[in-house]
Amino acid sequence: MSDQEIIQFNNVTKVFPGVKALDKVSFKINKGEVHALLGENGAGKSTLLNILHGVYQGYEGKVLIKNDVIKFGNPHEAIQFGISKVHQEVSLIPELTVGQNITLNYEPKKKLLIDYDKMHEEANKILDKLHCNFRSKDLVKNLSIGEMQMISIAKALFHDAKVISLDEPTASLTSSETETLFRIIRELKANGITIIYVSHRLEEIFKIADKATVLRDGKFIRTFDVEDTTKDELIKSMVGRDVSSFAKRNKPRRFSEEVVLEINNLTLEPHFKDISFKLRKGEILGFAGLVGAKRTDVVRTIFGADHKDEGEIIVHGNNVDIKSPLDGLENGIGLIPENRKTQGFVKNLNNANNIGLACLENFKDLIFLDHEEKIENSKVFIDKINLKPKDPLYLTRELSGGNQQKVVLAKWLSTNVDIFIFDEPTKGVDVGAKQEIYKLLEDLVAQGKSIIMVSSELPEVIGMSDRIVVMKEGRLTKILDYKEFSEEKIMHYAMEGTDVEDKEV
Amino acid sequence: MLKIKKFKIFREFGILVALFAMVIIFTALNPIYISFNNIIDIIQQSAINGLIAIGITFAILTAGIDLSVGSTLAIVIVVVGKFLTSGLNPIIAIFIGILIGFLLGVFNGLLITKLKIQPFVATLGTMSVYRGIAYVITGGWPVLNMPRDFRNLVSGRVFNIIPIPIFILIGFAIITHILLNHTRFGTYVYSIGGNEEATRLSGVNVEKNKVLAYGLVGVGAALAALVLLARLGTGEPTAGQGYELDAIAAAAIGGTSLAGGKGSVLGTFLGAILLSALKVGLIVTGVDTFWQFIATGSIIIIAVYLEHVQSQLYKK
Ligand SMILES: Nc1ncnc2c1ncn2[C@@H]1O[C@H](COP(=O)(O)OP(=O)(O)OP(=O)(O)O)[C@@H](O)[C@H]1O
Ligand SMILES: [Mg+2]
Repeated sequence: MSDQEIIQFNNVTKVFPGVKALDKVSFKINKGEVHALLGENGAGKSTLLNILHGVYQGYEGKVLIKNDVIKFGNPHEAIQFGISKVHQEVSLIPELTVGQNITLNYEPKKKLLIDYDKMHEEANKILDKLHCNFRSKDLVKNLSIGEMQMISIAKALFHDAKVISLDEPTASLTSSETETLFRIIRELKANGITIIYVSHRLEEIFKIADKATVLRDGKFIRTFDVEDTTKDELIKSMVGRDVSSFAKRNKPRRFSEEVVLEINNLTLEPHFKDISFKLRKGEILGFAGLVGAKRTDVVRTIFGADHKDEGEIIVHGNNVDIKSPLDGLENGIGLIPENRKTQGFVKNLNNANNIGLACLENFKDLIFLDHEEKIENSKVFIDKINLKPKDPLYLTRELSGGNQQKVVLAKWLSTNVDIFIFDEPTKGVDVGAKQEIYKLLEDLVAQGKSIIMVSSELPEVIGMSDRIVVMKEGRLTKILDYKEFSEEKIMHYAMEGTDVEDKEV
Repeated sequence: MLKIKKFKIFREFGILVALFAMVIIFTALNPIYISFNNIIDIIQQSAINGLIAIGITFAILTAGIDLSVGSTLAIVIVVVGKFLTSGLNPIIAIFIGILIGFLLGVFNGLLITKLKIQPFVATLGTMSVYRGIAYVITGGWPVLNMPRDFRNLVSGRVFNIIPIPIFILIGFAIITHILLNHTRFGTYVYSIGGNEEATRLSGVNVEKNKVLAYGLVGVGAALAALVLLARLGTGEPTAGQGYELDAIAAAAIGGTSLAGGKGSVLGTFLGAILLSALKVGLIVTGVDTFWQFIATGSIIIIAVYLEHVQSQLYKK
């Protein structure tokens, strides 16, 4: 092995009951490079990282670090060895300070007691290095997701990490937080730290990565030099066929003038105030805005997950008081939430139960639940969303992240609601699946359903929406028609909120 | 997936294996252990704890707990006892008892869902309140001299051989098993325990289903109360103290996770039988009472540890 190689995977195979998550994967990663790991949902990216980081011990093949075969008994051993991971679901203790989280388990001691002065001093030194504008003594629970991610990186540096891997780190970051993250990754790289980077956002790969290794169905496909490749080539090797990476409408627009949902002066203090808009039959109404614009709070309130303070929700001409998700469902409204782990699926249920959960009453014979029918129903939707593996009895929590998202989609597709609210529908799903979801959205409006889609990916809202509601800090600042869409316009209303010409209207 | 199903059965199979091992050891020490009468005795002894434990399993599955089961049992005992001694028809008295148990459970459920009090704290409170009510009803005295017909009806023997409490236990187990596995309510119980927020966001009426689950806990405690009342012939307001702990132990041995979302009626049923098989065995082999405590506690810890080891093995 040459000097510059730091990690080598040698015929790594990992089998879960019923699936081969990794199949004889061999490739190497050089010291000080940013190495992207690409592949469809369920390709085996997270599994490979879990092996490197000592989460799984049972696997075949070898992992070498600087010529030595390593076998960590648990993630702690890996961290002490200098191999750290920044989790997508940030795993910090919210009630503790930043410094306590960074030094957790390895606190500097003065005799038997923790030396807090030294702890904060050391932690602050690292935070400075990362240009963080919070301090060691701040409580973690008061920080944003992006800041929490910085703590995970700080933690890695505290342990003198030589390798840091990031599994879909930007999925819940704002664009400015993403920029900060990239700047830090470049600095880490300049200091000789090796970065492994997993993301479904290919634009990011071209901004940040030197090499990109593609996995497909658990097999190694190829390692690319990012400089010498194109997005299309990467996609083709991930999916095995040509797939567009653009969000765009392929069918004619469908919306009619019939209003299915009318929102008047909807208010929930302290989150948002005076939101008014109309959703038309067959329309895809996008919701754009920066993180913190409270789009999620608005749609949760329409669905009944939160209860409004004031304002009207008028469904098909009836003014209804929606107090709970059950009320939402009964009024034909469904919400596919943003966070699949905490809000989307139930961890101890299998796919058939998770998919059927919102409409179990459909599978009744007398008082008993008809399991057969429930499973048959789930199969239909498993096919529709192209779940992997296509097994209704598989536990949803054992699916890859993107496939879990698809199960949550399937749950609402199998109900008979006619107003769908999607909150970040393509978060964490791969390029191919994104196209499938876009097609699904179009199919829904073609059937006369109506859609509200909250998305932080501008190309996605612009490509898919018929109109876009722009929000800023809890206020609706503009509704744009598809003829006037542009990134600049949306960003203008999302950041400034003002609209000089329209003021007097 | 086949593998996962096998694994689930394996869990209950594990308790069966432990049970057989126990029977073999105790029989070797004292052959009387395996006699028909002794086996009947074991199952009968497990009836009271089994009924409560099956009920409490529903609370635990929703990621809750019910500490008030012993006090619920006491109220049912003294109220039904009073009705019976004043000459009420036993059948009607039985229904009243079950209804009271259900309502006391529902009250727990309402405290938990409407007032948003944590289950542990809410039922810690009602544990004391219900106990107090039982004392108030009788002025602290036991209710004596239950009528013969009631005692025969609930704790007599069929064909002079098999005690009726065994049928009550098995009947309740079958009904609750069906409820848990073949109705919407059952699926909701599991899913509330697994992820309450996601369940709520799926348009499920979480509150209603939780209240029903606690109602069912009360029914289990009420059935246990009837069996106890019939067996003893007197209704003490002090009855049932500490029963919640045996019930939780049976559920835990049976593979119910106290974190919620995982467990089964069959597991709890076997857990209760295992506990009483152990207790009877220790008596039959003449083990000192003090050591009985140590043995019982150790079994609980070992059983739950094995469960953990097994699920780790499965992960790899
Ligand atoms: N704990 C587990 N038990 C059983 N199967 C699992 C488990 N974890 C992962 N798998 C399976 O292994 C395969 C690879 O999953 P992995 O999470 O590595 O995919 P991924 O490439 O990270 O996908 P995504 O982009 O969706 O996060 C999938 O088919 C998944 O269902
Ligand atoms: Mg993953």
